[in-house]
Amino acid sequence: MIVSMKDIVKRYQSHTALDHLNLSVNQGESIGLLGPNGAGKTTAIRVLTGLTGADSGEVMLFDSPMKENAADIKKRLGVVPQDLALYETLSARDNLEFFGKLYGIKGAELKTRVDETLEILGLTDVAKKAPKKFSGGMKRRLNIGCAVIHKPELLILDEPTVGIDPQSRNHILDFVVDINKKGTTVLYTSHYMEEIEKVCSRVCIMDSGNVIADGSVEEITRSVIFEEVIYLEVKEPSPSLPENIKKIQGVKSCDVDGRNLTIISKSDSQNLARILEVATPFIILGVSANRPTLEDAFLSLTGKKLRDGDA
Amino acid sequence: MKQFLAVFFMGFKYLWRNPLTVSVIICFPIVFILILGNALSSYITPVLDFEPLHIMYVTDNEESMFAEFLKTEDISRFLDIEITDEAQAVQSVTDNDICVAIFEKNGEISIIKSSVSSVGTSVVLAVIDSYIQVSAAAEIAIANGANPFEVFRAINSEFAVDAVPLGNRVPNAMDYYAVTMLVYIMLLAGMNGLELFNKSLISDTGRRIMTAPVSKSTLICGLVAASTLTSFLQGMITFVFTALVYGVYWGERIPLVLVTLFAVVLLSQALCIFLILLFNNPGPPVAIIQATFFITTFVSGGYAKISFGGAADKVLAYAPNALAHTVIFGAIFGGNEGRMMFSLALLFALAIVFFVLAFFVGRRKLA
Ligand SMILES: Nc1ncnc2c1ncn2[C@@H]1O[C@H](COP(=O)(O)OP(=O)(O)OP(=O)(O)O)[C@@H](O)[C@H]1O
Ligand SMILES: [Mg+2]
Repeated sequence: MIVSMKDIVKRYQSHTALDHLNLSVNQGESIGLLGPNGAGKTTAIRVLTGLTGADSGEVMLFDSPMKENAADIKKRLGVVPQDLALYETLSARDNLEFFGKLYGIKGAELKTRVDETLEILGLTDVAKKAPKKFSGGMKRRLNIGCAVIHKPELLILDEPTVGIDPQSRNHILDFVVDINKKGTTVLYTSHYMEEIEKVCSRVCIMDSGNVIADGSVEEITRSVIFEEVIYLEVKEPSPSLPENIKKIQGVKSCDVDGRNLTIISKSDSQNLARILEVATPFIILGVSANRPTLEDAFLSLTGKKLRDGDA
Repeated sequence: MKQFLAVFFMGFKYLWRNPLTVSVIICFPIVFILILGNALSSYITPVLDFEPLHIMYVTDNEESMFAEFLKTEDISRFLDIEITDEAQAVQSVTDNDICVAIFEKNGEISIIKSSVSSVGTSVVLAVIDSYIQVSAAAEIAIANGANPFEVFRAINSEFAVDAVPLGNRVPNAMDYYAVTMLVYIMLLAGMNGLELFNKSLISDTGRRIMTAPVSKSTLICGLVAASTLTSFLQGMITFVFTALVYGVYWGERIPLVLVTLFAVVLLSQALCIFLILLFNNPGPPVAIIQATFFITTFVSGGYAKISFGGAADKVLAYAPNALAHTVIFGAIFGGNEGRMMFSLALLFALAIVFFVLAFFVGRRKLA
């Protein structure tokens, strides 16, 4: 087990930021921590990395508590903070070198690693420039670079794509997917479910300081949303068509309105294919399905939207 | 050690790449000394030639040291002083016939000014300022064993440096002023490092550093080393500047003077890093450092000697400025060797105390 947080409670004055939080991450996994503003994601990471102490509960990293083995644990850990944490007036290369040196990398190896990291993050051309002159996306990429220069075993990213252009965002997402494929365990927080879906094999949904759902994206949606809606447009539907569709297991209803059929079915079934099979003799003009998304699951679990102000 | 060097080099680079720090480091002392020094140093030829400014002078003692001072050639070059009575002076200022009148009563100097010419007022203020510096210089010289009469004569003969060979040299106003200012600037030098300390210990960047396997003591030492070296270089620039441009006499024992300045810089840095760790915020340290050293500069005779009397004076004799003055003036003009060494040791000891406090607070603050 790479990360194990058990029953963590963290209070800020009267506010409980983490309320008996449980979280574990296995070797090689890529886990997403999804939650709205103020859910406690950043706090969880701070407690995990030892920046703040928990009021109660147990934190283990690489099977040992941070206090007993801090130097060793920290060497194996890479943290990308939510807020940019760079020296804005030093060059990109200086920043990478400095953090590399803190992790004990030196000499020729340091140079190679810095060059590699600049290359992977697409910053080679601006290596000599200071980040204060960078675009938001470039700063974010450098912010990540400083956390991976020492090739950590566990990479923790706290909303690494906030406020950047789609191109930089995709670059970052691809980078994370790639580094995970190469064996780095990833803990990724975000309020963008598309990002989590793309990057992570497992999702933990957090709300009010607690993990309220844990599993793969399909598992979570399936456990929460039971129905999907399928719309079918058929040229001249016969009265027997809805009857036959209703016979398919898991289909709850099938309403006809002229050419349009609205079918409600159990969500995790393979019913779309079966319905199309039944409808093959007819001329099908259109099909669409409202598959439940993680967003729907989230809404139904918490009664909240993932992001403030989103439609 | 590797990590210490990493922090040190990063810090040094950070300080020198920051345009603000660099301008403060290089320009602040020079501008400071330039402006105030110009008011003082009569041997710098005035850039502008102007008609002497007509002012009035009311005094209860026409033989006073200040009266003698006003009569010197340097002053009469730009001030046309008419000695008169109070009623006449007040009337002239009120009528805007003259811009300033100076009053001297029981050794206290004050002015009244008209509402029009602020330039004239600042010229007069600069003169009074110089006088205060000169008298402070005289006080030091006398305290260091010079003959009061000779000192007085020396001051009146153009702030002369060479006029009074009494075994010891007598400091002229600028010599005195340069020491005071350099000590003052070096005491404030810790503020050069505050932004770096804040960035590396308190801000998001600081928190990120804390997730790396580097100890707080290594971090603190590296940052202080970078900032100390930077500030010390600043001191050197000012030092060379005063020596070359103003011809300030720094004596024969330059190494001792430099070691003292170094101790002052170190003390300032230690105090700054302690305060920023204590408050988690660079604001209070700036306020505390500025206020403290402004006051202790006054108290140590940096401008005009202020006395609180009794116990307070005894304690304030150990203010960092006072300690540094003891060593530096001693090194330049000859002083009690034992007292000098004690003062120097005390400066280093104070620096160490604040360091220990900083480590202590840092250990508690940074998880
Ligand atoms: N230093 C602090 N002092 C007081 N309250 C805090 C502090 N840090 C966080 N909180 C509170 O704890 C709660 C959780 O905050 P946290 O930053 O962990 O949320 P988050 O999930 O990371 O949110 P976001 O998506 O906005 O980054 C919030 O209600 C926040 O106001
Ligand atoms: Mg957060």
